[in-house]
Amino acid sequence: MNRPEHDPFCEEALDLLEPYVDGDLPAIAAARLREHLERCATCAAELNLAAKIQRELRSLPQLDCPPEVLEKVQRTGRGEVVPFVPRPRIGLRIAAAAAMLALALGGGVLFLHVQQQEERPSPQEIAQATAEARYALAYIGKVTRRTRTNLREDVLEKRLVAPASRTVSQALGETPSLAVPSSATPRRSDKEF
Amino acid sequence: MRKIIPLAFVLLVLTANAGWAQRLADQPGYVPIEKLDLFPADKLNVEINLEGALLKLIAAGARAEDPEFSSLIDGLKGITVQAVPLKDVDAGSVRAKIGQASRWLEDRGWKSTMRVREEGTETYIYLKEIDGAIAGLTLLALEPGDEAVAINIVGRIDPEQVGRVVENLHGPHIKRVPASGKKPE
Repeated sequence: MNRPEHDPFCEEALDLLEPYVDGDLPAIAAARLREHLERCATCAAELNLAAKIQRELRSLPQLDCPPEVLEKVQRTGRGEVVPFVPRPRIGLRIAAAAAMLALALGGGVLFLHVQQQEERPSPQEIAQATAEARYALAYIGKVTRRTRTNLREDVLEKRLVAPASRTVSQALGETPSLAVPSSATPRRSDKEF
Repeated sequence: MRKIIPLAFVLLVLTANAGWAQRLADQPGYVPIEKLDLFPADKLNVEINLEGALLKLIAAGARAEDPEFSSLIDGLKGITVQAVPLKDVDAGSVRAKIGQASRWLEDRGWKSTMRVREEGTETYIYLKEIDGAIAGLTLLALEPGDEAVAINIVGRIDPEQVGRVVENLHGPHIKRVPASGKKPE
């Protein structure tokens, strides 16, 4: 089954192999091709190769074409001029963003560090500040102690001393002389701290 | 890329200003005592402004000697004190300003915890609560013949802890203090 010498059909047969493999060849042409392939080993080998390529292509996974690419292909197919816009690679963009972020963080940390170094007080200043903090708290203590004492005296005067003196005076038939001092009453105490 | 550069620039600015974001004035328990103009600035005999890192240093320095005081200070963001001797100023004017200040505080959600008026003496203590925790304490006091005082303490405040600490701070601490020859009591 070798190629017959000077067979004029060989060239035509090679053109028919692809539609034959795809099943697109009319029946009469397909029969004629098969008849030639039985006589010509070279064309039969070409047919086997074409069939193998087709099988391997069909075994590849199918990928979705990105819509923008599809649109560009369609526009190009319609004869439109599609401008070429180079897109920076994603890796480059991420690297640039990371570099800017690192710069921002580093700058901030450096700024705060320098600021803290400049403002670091001396031991004498810390001792003075400690005394001032104690002063502020001591003042609160002084006020609350004084107020607490006054509140206690107020309660004692109003609720114990004055009523007791009135009771004693009434028992003795006298006008109460141990009245609550007027200076003690104009006081408004909501509650104790 | 065009979107990333401005974003990174904004981040840079924000990060650089991170220290300013924690300003004392931004704290909920802060009261701008100097802006309330309670006392004439040139008559102040005590003026204390402690905040931020300095309070942390105070707390660290006192940790071994006085752990309770250290713990209290560690939770604070700021301490401001102003005091003026009443013999040098118009007491009536100061009294009126203290009244205005107490209304200013109440208008801003401060709760009156103590309010005592007797024989010319006025004492107010206000607390600022945020989510059930005390974030600020403000004391306004006026003692005729003596002095008027405004104190604002900003930060995490536990009243019981304050009570325990102030119990141990008597006269010596009040007499010892202030810078530049300033006197209390």
